[in-house]
Amino acid sequence: MIKELVLGLRFTITQMLRKPLTVQYPEEQKPVFPRHRGRHILHRYDNGLERCIGCELCAAACPVGCIYVLAAENDPKNPVSPGERYAERYEINLMRCIYCGYCAEACPTEAITLGPQYDLAEYRRERTVVTKAELLESWPRFAQARGPASPVGAGADSTARADPDPGISPRVAWDAAETVHGAPEAPQPGDLGVPTHVPTVTEPESRDRR
Amino acid sequence: MAQKPPTQPDDGHVAVSIDGHETRVPKGTLVLDAAAGLGIHIPIYCAHPKMEPVAVCRMCLVHIERFPKPQPACATVVADGMAVTTDSAEVTKIREGMLEFLLLNHPLDCPVCDRGGECDLQDFTFRYGPSVSRFPITEKVHFNKAVPLSEHIELDQERCILCWRCVRYYDEITGEKEIVLEQRGVQTLVTTFNEQPLRSSFQGNLPEVCPVGALTHRQYRFVSRPWDLQRTAGVCPECSYGCNLNVDSRDFEIRRFASRDNPLVEDMWLCDRGRYSFPKWNSTERVRRPAVRPRAGRARDTAVGEAIAAAANELRAVIDAHSPSAIGVMGSAESTNEELFLLQRLARDVIGTRNIDHQLGSFDGITSEEHALGIAEIEECDALVVLGVEPEEEAPVLTLRLFKAQHKRGRRVHRVARDADPAGVVKAMGATTLTGVIADETNREHAVLVATALARKGAVRRMTVTRGVNGRGAKDLGVLPNVLPGYRAAPPGGKNGREILEAAAAGAIHALLITGPNAALERAGELLDRALQRAESVIVVETRPGKVASAATVLIPGHAIFEKLGTVTNIEGRVQRVRPALPPAAQTPSDTRVLAALAAELGAKGWERSDPMSVNRALREAVPAYAEAGSGGRALWTAERVA
Ligand code: SF4
Ligand code: SF4
Ligand code: SF4
Ligand code: SF4
Ligand code: FES
Repeated sequence: MIKELVLGLRFTITQMLRKPLTVQYPEEQKPVFPRHRGRHILHRYDNGLERCIGCELCAAACPVGCIYVLAAENDPKNPVSPGERYAERYEINLMRCIYCGYCAEACPTEAITLGPQYDLAEYRRERTVVTKAELLESWPRFAQARGPASPVGAGADSTARADPDPGISPRVAWDAAETVHGAPEAPQPGDLGVPTHVPTVTEPESRDRR
Repeated sequence: MAQKPPTQPDDGHVAVSIDGHETRVPKGTLVLDAAAGLGIHIPIYCAHPKMEPVAVCRMCLVHIERFPKPQPACATVVADGMAVTTDSAEVTKIREGMLEFLLLNHPLDCPVCDRGGECDLQDFTFRYGPSVSRFPITEKVHFNKAVPLSEHIELDQERCILCWRCVRYYDEITGEKEIVLEQRGVQTLVTTFNEQPLRSSFQGNLPEVCPVGALTHRQYRFVSRPWDLQRTAGVCPECSYGCNLNVDSRDFEIRRFASRDNPLVEDMWLCDRGRYSFPKWNSTERVRRPAVRPRAGRARDTAVGEAIAAAANELRAVIDAHSPSAIGVMGSAESTNEELFLLQRLARDVIGTRNIDHQLGSFDGITSEEHALGIAEIEECDALVVLGVEPEEEAPVLTLRLFKAQHKRGRRVHRVARDADPAGVVKAMGATTLTGVIADETNREHAVLVATALARKGAVRRMTVTRGVNGRGAKDLGVLPNVLPGYRAAPPGGKNGREILEAAAAGAIHALLITGPNAALERAGELLDRALQRAESVIVVETRPGKVASAATVLIPGHAIFEKLGTVTNIEGRVQRVRPALPPAAQTPSDTRVLAALAAELGAKGWERSDPMSVNRALREAVPAYAEAGSGGRALWTAERVA
């Protein structure tokens, strides 16, 4: 019995003398592996011009569709990126991203990579949609104005056309509009645009596809 | 050539085999089309379905048995017993070679190219091309990028593959000859004569004709990728010709109109007025809230149900105090058939007034005869008489059809003054068995005289270019004081648009019911102002803020043409469907529901089923020609049906 006690205490004492494994997160953070896929970074060339040309290939490659790019034409006197085209808006919905890295692979200019940052929790849902200003490498002469994510972009829950006087969202209104006099009956074959060889159609194909 | 099998009679067809698949096609078919019929794809650049073959790009070379050299499929006519091979190692090598050659000096800037994603050069390189080039990328010859050819069209000289399609488009389709190729060899460039900007009214077709990203729209520059666009089949809202188009939208805004080939209507060519008209449908200047603004009392925004109830009360008050004919109803040539049908039923059956119109002009003596000539039938007429410049100004794509009739089919096109002397026209015509007479709404009486005079020479068919996208539908469905749906005679005494406004200004008409954006109404100017001021109640279902909306005593937001379901009818009576491409800007029920709810408030029975589909069903029951037209067919009127 004494023997077991000694053995147990010995184990306890050796553990007490070892360096602790615990990291005081978030004050302390361990370095990640070099190829870790964390939050994205938009890079710049050495002269400060953005690498991103707004080609939307990352958005096309993204399996979950969480990237929103809106391109625009460069002003040759004051270009944002080399060439004719740049990304006016660039947004990623980090809540939807699965950190697969396809976007980085698709990018023709190596503008986007997945960086080391992994502490991405936020108190507000909207903040998890990161805009170009947050994603871009900082650069002394090229500060980006920080604005909110676009209402139609990567994190959009609104499906609105610009409404100077916003009320209920048009999507809701659209559905409501069709049910004023009760639900419309399913269109019958032979009806306006419904082919006769289809037995029944339950939803007019005209609805928004998003 | 192989012997023709003796069992096959000569039926104008020939037997060919392509990659071992046998088929019989009509004589004169191109190898390209015969292969397409079998589902065999042959890559093409210079060939275009609407143009004559030139065989300059050599992309379509195929092997044909017993021919010493490969032949262009786009310019070789099938012969009986021909054996074509498109999948041999030889053809594969030719294709790889052609693509490597085309990409020799190509900038390969697909990531910034507006055509990326819908580019034939990209697609065919991906499908048939070599995976690497033997030419160093650093030695490419460069040319200018983003050269403006006009305010609409931009040319990237490096991306051009010299297929000649743009040059031939101007030669063969519009006849304007505005683009040429200059220089020779690797220095060949597409350009305009003397660097003049393009002046054609059909430039917008160039980027669609160009197989690559050399010619692009300025208005679509870097706007979107094709895979981000949400495509809705639609009808051009600018005129009554009814050109089919695709509405491409992104983020709930229309980003471009693209052609949607309907050989019977626009034959895939759109005019610039229509093609570049899309920004106005993205406008945020819209009527968004229902409002009640009694003449005596406080104006306020309300819920749509309340507004409809208020409208019914005002109408009932006028009917009680005066009579139903103290109410004037104005429809619009920009509404769908379903809305117009409901509106005229509301006016005639529920309110009980005969004062209904959609325009200011008079349409006395209107018959379906005015619209007997179909668009595609223009090519079948021996001779065509166009009265004045208005028809072609109103419906510009008509010009291209006339050009095709004249130059491809050898028809005679006479453009005469809008009030040309009928006897003179007849004299100038020569012999003809079928003549088309094309006029617009303002000289339709004169067209009758010309047609009557011409009738001595042979059959005559008339076309009247109506105003407004659904000007024809408004007439077919009886939104006129003198005809009921289907051109049946209406009981007399109804006032036309101008008379309604005059009566309202004079205090004889006490209430106006106005639906839809109505350009014709706005042209009335000062008369409209007086009418709107004097009328006791002005009930308006309108999309745009403006004179009419601000004078409304009851205002209900309407849905614009790209926000609703329905049909519109073009000048030849083709009933075509419109579909919602955008969510409605106003959060109210669709216009058909508003009209039906108003009728229900006025005590009408049987108006419950008021979604556009149900209204369409009712419309087809009431107007048999529309039932026969279905969706996409022509509503044709025979004499007995009109009677
Ligand atoms: S990492 Fe994957 S999921 Fe995330 S944005 Fe890139 S492509 Fe999309
Ligand atoms: S990050 Fe790369 S792939 Fe994405 S839009 Fe920019 S350049 Fe294109
Ligand atoms: S024309 Fe086609 S192949 Fe050439 S850059 Fe544009 S998309 Fe790429
Ligand atoms: S500009 Fe386009 S259509 Fe014209 S020749 Fe060049 S590639 Fe062909
Ligand atoms: S498509 Fe046949 S040669 Fe160009």
